[in-house]
Amino acid sequence: MSAAPVTILDALLVGGLLAAAGLTLFVPRRSTAVVMFLVFGVLLAIAWTRLGAPDVALAEAAIGAGVTSALLIDAVYERSRRPERATGHHRQVLAVVGAVLAAVLAVGLALVLVDIGPFTSPGPGAADLVADRLDESGVSHPVTAVLLNFRSYDTLLEIAVLLVAVLAALALQPDATLRGVPAPTRTPDLLGLLVRVLAPVLVVVAGWLLVAGSVAPGGAFQAGAVLAGGLLLMRLGGWPGAVPASDLLRPTLAVGLTGFLTLAYLTAALGAGWLDLGAAWAGEAILALEALLTVSIAMTLAALFVANQDPPTPPVGVSSPERTR
Amino acid sequence: MTREELFLAVGAGLAVLGAARLLLTRDLLTRVLALNVASGGVLMILVALALRGGGPDGPDPVLHALVLTGIVITVSVTGFAIGLVRRIEGDLTEGGRR
Amino acid sequence: MNDTLGALVLLPLGGAVLAALLPRHGPWVGIVTAAATLALALTTAAAVYRSGPRHLELAGWGAPLGIDLRADGLSAAMLALTAVVGVATTVYATGSDAASGRPLFWPLWLALWSGLNAVYVSGDLFNTYVALELVGLSAVALVALGGRDAYPPALRYLFVAVLGSLAYLLGVALVYAEAGTLDIVEAGERLDGATTAVTALTATALAVMALGLALKTALFPLHAWLPQAHAAAPSAVSAILSALVVKASLFVLVRVWFVVFGGAATPGAAQLLGILGTVAVVWGAVLALRQPRLKPIVAYSTVAQVGYLFLLFPLATPGLGEAAGTTAAQAAYAGWTGALGLALAHGLAKAAMFMAAGTLALAHGSDRLTDLRGAATRMPMSTLTFGLAGASLAGLPPTFGFVGKWQLLQASLISGQWWWLPVLLVGGLLTAAYTVRVLGATVNPPDAELAPLAPVPRRMEWAALSMAALAVMLGVSSSGLLGLLGVGAPVGGGP
Repeated sequence: MSAAPVTILDALLVGGLLAAAGLTLFVPRRSTAVVMFLVFGVLLAIAWTRLGAPDVALAEAAIGAGVTSALLIDAVYERSRRPERATGHHRQVLAVVGAVLAAVLAVGLALVLVDIGPFTSPGPGAADLVADRLDESGVSHPVTAVLLNFRSYDTLLEIAVLLVAVLAALALQPDATLRGVPAPTRTPDLLGLLVRVLAPVLVVVAGWLLVAGSVAPGGAFQAGAVLAGGLLLMRLGGWPGAVPASDLLRPTLAVGLTGFLTLAYLTAALGAGWLDLGAAWAGEAILALEALLTVSIAMTLAALFVANQDPPTPPVGVSSPERTR
Repeated sequence: MTREELFLAVGAGLAVLGAARLLLTRDLLTRVLALNVASGGVLMILVALALRGGGPDGPDPVLHALVLTGIVITVSVTGFAIGLVRRIEGDLTEGGRR
Repeated sequence: MNDTLGALVLLPLGGAVLAALLPRHGPWVGIVTAAATLALALTTAAAVYRSGPRHLELAGWGAPLGIDLRADGLSAAMLALTAVVGVATTVYATGSDAASGRPLFWPLWLALWSGLNAVYVSGDLFNTYVALELVGLSAVALVALGGRDAYPPALRYLFVAVLGSLAYLLGVALVYAEAGTLDIVEAGERLDGATTAVTALTATALAVMALGLALKTALFPLHAWLPQAHAAAPSAVSAILSALVVKASLFVLVRVWFVVFGGAATPGAAQLLGILGTVAVVWGAVLALRQPRLKPIVAYSTVAQVGYLFLLFPLATPGLGEAAGTTAAQAAYAGWTGALGLALAHGLAKAAMFMAAGTLALAHGSDRLTDLRGAATRMPMSTLTFGLAGASLAGLPPTFGFVGKWQLLQASLISGQWWWLPVLLVGGLLTAAYTVRVLGATVNPPDAELAPLAPVPRRMEWAALSMAALAVMLGVSSSGLLGLLGVGAPVGGGP
């Protein structure tokens, strides 16, 4: 397992990753850069499966390649020209020096990393402990057990990070809601039909990913990202209410963290200790919590997308310059 | 060279490449992309290390869980960063001069 | 009793959710949460002071499978500082929308507070990463509340904060590869017990973590982002950022340096951090002297003052592992309590300074020094606050700042590192210089006609003055606080 040799596929994959990363960072046209980033994300997801990490691959495909690329494509669609300024002489020198320095650092870091042997820690490794106590966690998939039981406190703080991110994005809108963002105009029929077929499929896939997470790769994050895609498609397909603009927005964004905190308060108040689920009902608690998290994660990712749309310019008498479209 | 060694080295390369581009460019969207490439590199190191630290049941699930957390944090940051980039550049183009 | 460690994080986080759901009641949610968190922090600090470090296993697993929370004297002191400054800025922020940003100030600030507490009680390297991201993202979001002009510095701050975290995360992965655990104390024990003294791996891990955390703490020459971000933010936010947020990454660096890599931290690397700190002290102060506006002056002052805190590394590192009573251990202990005491003093004084700058700017409609004429007589409280805070920053006796610097002076003398003495002296003079420059600008020329002042709620000035008063008065009875900093400290020969 831990001494797999490099195959042709690995070599091609690595070559593709480096090429996609290079093009993402250096190609002058923004739209090309973003498409290259999408390719980079897909290749990363393939790399994760090659490295035996199917959970990470699913998350990368849904979140890294999917959601991030959607956010980026939406951003460059509106302004495809790069406002790059002319580069001066000292900047070019800086770029060359920086490139040399980066190459040296990269090679040095790579050498140090490759030198790491199999873990020979002088104590029990965390991986062995997870295997030993998986039975008590309420789920049979080790990654889910780590995320929602053994290290659930990490995940709680991570959900807080998500909520802060979406609140921060909302703060960029005039009244901190999505009311100012115009609903998408009705799409052409063919696209509309596609949207209407695809959106329910995504919802079903999300549900499956959520339930599967307790025994197999999957879980709230992957399900939430897929569901976010479904919500955005519904919005595009003529149902703007899929992503609520104001009143219902914050409760749905916060329901995951609220549920998580309630669980923490309850376990502490009942005397078990903060976040101690107990073996008896851990499985049920984790599934219920994941369902709430999926809703919040989906709404957060969808709301991030919508909140990033430019608010309409205030209706002053002067006609604003036409937007690039 | 084993597969883990290959991916450890490539992860290092991507991390440094992304960090360097982030520091050396002025284009804001490129900086967002560079941040994501750097993050992908660091996470690749973690996933490759998980293979090293794995037992008979497969790679180390703790590191996989950490990487999932890292991916979610990166997308949160990216979402907000793109929002800021769009506002800043919107100001630049709408404000007319500079 | 140990349960307060969990509550210190999860209570303000609950407040943040509540404030997000009830946007109209933000100030009330903020005040109630702040009061409760202050009570928790002071209870925890008292417990640590009386009966030693606290420890809590989360989710019933225990490290290294689960995550443990820990609070030693340093954690307790930082929790208390955060709570005291937090209550004052909360009261201050209720005074004016301009000083806080818009309604979203409340959920973001309470989430930030929760993140800071999470950093201070975390016993786990990766959990610290998540907590740092919570701190960083909410801090950036708060800067962006400053409006369109604040967006570019906020974005720059975001890039810096996330890049620093990524470097730290890389270091965490390397530590895990070497030690097989993410628990801070356990990792320290295992790395210390490793037969090889300093491997390329541990050296690389320490280097990337120190680099990332120094970037987040704005150590010279990685400081350029800080003055822009701190000056562009609403003034309540500036106070929080300068007084509290930069301390969080410094705290993590101290943990990593002394606890995780206790054996691998070399005196040479420690001297390098001290030298960079020295340059920061001078460079930050010189730039502060050249700013035409009040908030950038205070922001550059933070770059300078952060420099002092890095003297901790050269002064305390040589005493690691030395038995109690030896000269090296005594010097290290004085350096530890001195530098970290100075961090507390800076937190109080800088919060006071930024809040006073905010009230002055609010009243005068500008923070240009040339527009502040007459403030000394028309807003004596705010001017006094600025002066007292400046006195503590400059280290004049009998302020708390003086106590910290005195300890650093002792540490330099005992350890024979005399070359830090001029830094302490010159830095104090430069701090006094920019404080006097500001105070001079507030004096009323006899014949000038002054524009009327905008009204400023009284409680804003009181909140600022209370922090300045604490920064001065704690100097008179500082032994308790210095003793708290020593509880469970890695140097000084203690347990």
